[in-house]
Amino acid sequence: MNKFRKLKTKIIIPIATFVFGAVFAFLGITKYGFYHATKGPLPGFFPSIVGICLMIVSVLTLLQARSDDDQHSRKENWYPVLGTLAILLGCLVFGMYLSLGIFLFWWVRIYEKASWKATIICFIIMGVIVIGAFGCWLNIDFPKGLLFSWM
Amino acid sequence: MHNLILLGNGLLNVLSIQNLLVTGLGAILGLMVGAMPGIGSLAGVALLLPLTYKFNPTTAIIMLGALYYSNMYGGSFSAILLNIPGDSPAVMTTLDGYPMATVKKRPGQALYTSNLSSFIGGFIGIAILIFMGPALAEFGLKFGPVEMTALLLVAMTSIGWLVGDNPTKGVVLTLAGILVATVGMDTLTGSPRYDFGNVFLLGGIPFIPFVIGTVGFAQVMKLIDEKDVGTKTVVEGKMSLKGSLLSRHELRRLLPPAIRSGFMGTFVGVLPGAGATTGSFLGYAMQKGFKSEEPLGTGAIEGIAACEAANNAAAAGSFAPLLALGIPGSGTGAVLLGGLMMWGLNPGPLLFSSQPEFCWSLIASLMLANLLTLAIALGIIPWITRILSVPIKLMIPCITIVCIVGSYSSTNSLYGVIVMLISGVVGYLCEKNGYTTAPMLLSFVLAPLLESNMRKSFIISHGSISIFFTEPIACCFMIVLLAIIATPIIRGILSGKKR
Repeated sequence: MNKFRKLKTKIIIPIATFVFGAVFAFLGITKYGFYHATKGPLPGFFPSIVGICLMIVSVLTLLQARSDDDQHSRKENWYPVLGTLAILLGCLVFGMYLSLGIFLFWWVRIYEKASWKATIICFIIMGVIVIGAFGCWLNIDFPKGLLFSWM
Repeated sequence: MHNLILLGNGLLNVLSIQNLLVTGLGAILGLMVGAMPGIGSLAGVALLLPLTYKFNPTTAIIMLGALYYSNMYGGSFSAILLNIPGDSPAVMTTLDGYPMATVKKRPGQALYTSNLSSFIGGFIGIAILIFMGPALAEFGLKFGPVEMTALLLVAMTSIGWLVGDNPTKGVVLTLAGILVATVGMDTLTGSPRYDFGNVFLLGGIPFIPFVIGTVGFAQVMKLIDEKDVGTKTVVEGKMSLKGSLLSRHELRRLLPPAIRSGFMGTFVGVLPGAGATTGSFLGYAMQKGFKSEEPLGTGAIEGIAACEAANNAAAAGSFAPLLALGIPGSGTGAVLLGGLMMWGLNPGPLLFSSQPEFCWSLIASLMLANLLTLAIALGIIPWITRILSVPIKLMIPCITIVCIVGSYSSTNSLYGVIVMLISGVVGYLCEKNGYTTAPMLLSFVLAPLLESNMRKSFIISHGSISIFFTEPIACCFMIVLLAIIATPIIRGILSGKKR
């Protein structure tokens, strides 16, 4: 498990950038075209050159990575990601406002166990920003969700 | 002298009670919109444009100038306080602004540095615009595809080399940022590219969600590590106006980089398509070559001053081609041009002689907006810095919501939120492993410009690279480029020999 973690933190990034560069270079040359005698550089010209450069530099970074320190994340670091995914799904059902409200209440009041006063202040401030500034003033049309459509 | 008399007339037009109030209102609204992550100066000016309908043409143009200018100030607020750049030129401000506000616990001073530098940069830019606007615009036209390619290559190369501790990692993310920018439509032919059959990818990766995720959301993920220390806040104690001021020594540190970047930023702003982001980056890169009291990237005053002054000077400089030639240097410039034309102002070579009242009133309003925005921004600093006295455990869900709402509002779809989420995770993992993400963001912004200019250059030269060495301006930039690449290599060899 520990070895796998080391692999994740130090090695995966250069491998991923190498693959990323390789895909762009390959598609650039084979699918989008590199150079035409009369038309000049084609759509694949620039990404292919950059992709090849990225592959070379990624190999250098991979070699350097052996001497890098190991970096570990805690599972709590991923809570905002899970929260955002939940909001994305919630948007489809409850709409943006309600999903954000549920997320804020869950995080502040239930997860962090903040006081009611702090929870209400958070709701007022975020309400002013999200509903007041973005929703009313800037007229951003946030998703209403299936629940709203059904009602 | 003649220009000064005309400017004086413009100032007399501006200095009515109504126009002063309108300038103040424009400055406040511009600051607010500029500070909101996800809106940015382009959308900000476009959103606030209808407000000018209610006024007479001169007042409307004055308000437009104030809106545009104060937007440039606003971007640094969220960059410094929340590590979320309000707009692309503020990306560089996060590098020193956020550490100064949080690690050094001096948010007031960071904002003062940013605002004073913006004022100095803007003042230099406007002063140059007054005396040399048309001449500068003509000079900017000398920059064709070849010269722009060479300049952008210098900018791109120095991004990787100069930002962060590890140049190789910087280059990796610079190149990755360029590749991400190539997704969507080809800049020259308009044919789809790297869309993998996805209709959203066909439109490319939107910048605002990308930057909010890479910088802001990644920051939220990092903040989790700090929240468990009780109800810790980033800044403790009461913030006051006096406690936020810069000392005389700090002002002396701020001035040289701000003045240097002011001149450089104005020049970059004049170049077609270069804009405030390129100016901001080049200002920071140039500061790397000068002595700073603290290392850049650790919350140095010099770092904030260099990029903020260049950013605002570039915004002023972009008015030279806009007014004298009718060529907008950026998307924001194009919206502004539309607003000016709506009020009967037709930018072009005859503008200064045919419509002097409008023209000089606009320049005078920029001066006034620069001054008023500074006064308003300095006045609100002690209150706005209170954001950082909110406990981190409450900041995390609030910033997450701002990231989601800002990303959604810039694309009007959940696609923006998905881009923000993915780039946030990538940004977090990169930062955790010593990859500074700023080069990726800047190369993402500059890549389309570089690609189109490079391809045009090769079309002109029939595929020959020699064109970059035969054109004088381009040749100068290529020499600088080679020096940037060679310097760390030679330094490495020399230090190896010493050992």
